[in-house]
Amino acid sequence: MSNKHKITEEPAHLPLHIFLVVFTFISLYPILWVFTIAFSGKQSLAISILPSNPTFWDRIRAITPWPAEFSLSNFVSVLTDQPFGRWLLNSAIIALATTVVGVFLACTAAYAFSRFRFPGRRLGLMSFLVSQMFPGTLMLIPLYIILVKWLGLGSSKLGLVLVYATTAIPFCVWMLKGYFDTIPKDLEESALMDGASAGTIFFRIILPLAKPAVAVTALFSFMTGWNEFILAATFMDKEVMYTAPVGLRFFVGGFSQQWGYFAAGSIIVSIPVVALFMYLQKYLVSGLTAGAVKG
Amino acid sequence: MTKPGVLRRRFLIGLILAAAIGVGLEFMFLTQDLKAGRAMLRQRIGVMMLQGLVDVAQRTAGTTDGIQTAVMEFAKRHSEVTNIRVVKGLRLEASTVAADTGDKAAPRRLARDEKTVFDQGQRLRAAVQTNRDEGVSRKEEIEIARGTGGELVLSAPLEDTDGSVTGFAQIQAAPSGEAVRPPSPVAPAAAVVAVVILFLIVSRFLPERKLSLALLTATLLVTLLGAYGYYGRATKDSALKMESQAVATRLVEEAKSASAALKAVSVEETPPLHPSRWDADVFRRPLGFVADNGTVIETKFSALRLQHKQELHQEFLATTILSLIVLALFGFGAASALVSTIIGNREAYSYTLPAMVGMIVLVFFPFLYGIALSFTGSTLYNSDKSITEIWTGLDNYKSILTNFQFAKHTAEGWVFNYQNFYWTLLFTIFWTVTNVAIGVSVGLVLALMLNTKGLALRPFYRVLLIFPWAMPNYITALIWRGMFHQQFGVVNQFLQILGAHPISWFEKPFTSYFTALATNGWLSFPFMMVVSLGALQSIPTDLYEAARVDGATRWQQFRSITLPSLKPALIPAVILSVVWTFNMFNIIYLVTAGEPAGSTEILITEAYKIAFEKYRYGYAAAYSTIIFIILLVYGSIQNRATRATEAIAG
Repeated sequence: MSNKHKITEEPAHLPLHIFLVVFTFISLYPILWVFTIAFSGKQSLAISILPSNPTFWDRIRAITPWPAEFSLSNFVSVLTDQPFGRWLLNSAIIALATTVVGVFLACTAAYAFSRFRFPGRRLGLMSFLVSQMFPGTLMLIPLYIILVKWLGLGSSKLGLVLVYATTAIPFCVWMLKGYFDTIPKDLEESALMDGASAGTIFFRIILPLAKPAVAVTALFSFMTGWNEFILAATFMDKEVMYTAPVGLRFFVGGFSQQWGYFAAGSIIVSIPVVALFMYLQKYLVSGLTAGAVKG
Repeated sequence: MTKPGVLRRRFLIGLILAAAIGVGLEFMFLTQDLKAGRAMLRQRIGVMMLQGLVDVAQRTAGTTDGIQTAVMEFAKRHSEVTNIRVVKGLRLEASTVAADTGDKAAPRRLARDEKTVFDQGQRLRAAVQTNRDEGVSRKEEIEIARGTGGELVLSAPLEDTDGSVTGFAQIQAAPSGEAVRPPSPVAPAAAVVAVVILFLIVSRFLPERKLSLALLTATLLVTLLGAYGYYGRATKDSALKMESQAVATRLVEEAKSASAALKAVSVEETPPLHPSRWDADVFRRPLGFVADNGTVIETKFSALRLQHKQELHQEFLATTILSLIVLALFGFGAASALVSTIIGNREAYSYTLPAMVGMIVLVFFPFLYGIALSFTGSTLYNSDKSITEIWTGLDNYKSILTNFQFAKHTAEGWVFNYQNFYWTLLFTIFWTVTNVAIGVSVGLVLALMLNTKGLALRPFYRVLLIFPWAMPNYITALIWRGMFHQQFGVVNQFLQILGAHPISWFEKPFTSYFTALATNGWLSFPFMMVVSLGALQSIPTDLYEAARVDGATRWQQFRSITLPSLKPALIPAVILSVVWTFNMFNIIYLVTAGEPAGSTEILITEAYKIAFEKYRYGYAAAYSTIIFIILLVYGSIQNRATRATEAIAG
């Protein structure tokens, strides 16, 4: 009886599948479009050139995300003829350095916020939260003055790394602190009894246990450095120092219409982040919502 | 109760530090002041020599080869001057530069590789012209550069009788000028030590009370700083006197040298020479401290002395107040309390230190600096001025918030004034609400579908649907911008299949807004979907079974089981995405760029454009501060609302 009941209760699967397939196709369409342009070997943003009197099928062809002929020429020339390879390298160096600096800063601070009670703890945590509301445009000019005029770090990778690492701190600290809070204190206490130093406890016990959270922090720092656009566009005024995001915009911004290079470059830039993201997204969601609940 | 000796030690440490800081600062100010005076004296003498030469050169304009002879005569009387050059237009009229001999001897045309010389002449002429046209002294009319050996390279324009600039003269000079000896640091250091010893002796005879010790140390400190400050002012004053005497003596010599040079080329001294005009600043404005006959003009000079005195007095006041604060901090125990807190929690503080230093330097300080900028009229063109010089108070805020001009009357009738703050604010709110609504509803519907029991391929759909979120959002924005292209974009191609006309998306406010909405909706629904799906999967299935046993319909189950269980996960997600969308810079900036006429600009992109396209930094800072306040108010209301609901629920 219960079986029969269930059949009437549950919606039929077939219409669901049809809807989901269509919706998935639509939502993947922009990505398919980028692949089509990238592999077309042309710079045009049209998939196919319409004849002067297009038939219905010509029009269908023009929106079918499949290149007329496959060619890797966009990928080859974007990496060789264009300075894009250089920009990619800049971005990679900046993002990796941001990850190292950001994770180090966030882990140490989060550990202190989680384990110690000290004057200024609440103030520090609250100020981290409030800093998330600072509008970027308010910070840009002072940052420009501090980095370029006072510290002389204009058009340098170090300047961007420092800014990215610090802007990633609040989110990372809140996330890591939440995770450290769940690690039982007994572990540290027994380690202390065994004569372990504070440094040993932090590096040998806490960090290995918090691996998933550290991984998410690393991902977040990496993405900050890899995807950031405004600061990089403002501070990097020499073409050789562009990062990949600034470079991609350079291909299709203003009067430039090199859509083939843009598409090929976009795919190259997206692969590492999308892969990392897919691998770690579960933690990211829990981290985000947990942080928000506590705020 | 503090232990005996503790109070005395505190005040002793406070006194040592305060005295060291105070005297140190005064010493630094004095050293810098004297150094600046020396540099100024060198410059004045250099300018005086050059202007004397220029005066002579201008008077020899009618003679043949007069300039060359006059320059030689000038060089003979000035051993410290080398490399004299007089250039008129393309011609090198006279020169004592070692390279300009033989077939390169003056007078001759400038060679090709001497373009920098020619350019300098043009630059000086342009500077004089600009200053005359604008009626202000903005561009330097005398160029002063520092040579490799510390000597000055000075260049000044040559004028015709009608005042037009015809060329320039350049000298390389190492004016000796009697140097005022830099102050020695030994005396002030000894004074500090003496005061400390005095404290140690006197405090033996005083009761160990806060009041008496505070009075003693404060008196000692103020006396010390006052005495050293007085010494500093006296030193500076005598330096000033010496400098002005040096200038006066020099002026007489220069006048003699000029007369001799003119005699050598037999040019009459009519009109008579005015050597006092040679003592000028870089805008060739006479300073007027010395008369033509070489006497110091007392009224002007005492005004200068007074001005320096006042400056030093202000510096003295500032250092004294600072030192007294340091003394008080230590003496009354605030510093020791601070130190003991830091030492007591040194582990915690050392862990947070790196992150805190980074946050303070690169987040909190820029934030405060930005707020300070919002009270100024800072622009690209006055960014080298200090904040106090361009302070405008609340003007920026007033002009942003009290502009109620929503529409403008133009030749084509009434048009909306989209640059108005309230319009942009309204649009931003509309943009945020619609985006979050779309994100939540699409995400929730998809999550409910994917949560269907036993649905095949579920992980497959889930992974594919997350892709839009995983893509970097600036790439997404540029992709959609391409897809909405009027002629070649696939969206218009698709519309044409349906028989519609292609739309120029970025020419009407609504369609333009729609492109941004589509883009942002596309990249924001996966987040909501993942959050909802996670919450749905955590609902125990027996709840539904129990409901079914009770005969609840599917709608009833959704209302009373699904929705309430979704709430704890969805509310924070919505809060987050409201803030994200409110500040979604990349999508607006890269997809619509505010087109048409700024109608699809949100607050954050408008602030960016004010700063980096109109270069009105102060105004943009005020705009951004208002955005921050809006978000802060939103945050606190949200926080209170969530807490209230939690209280009711709990």
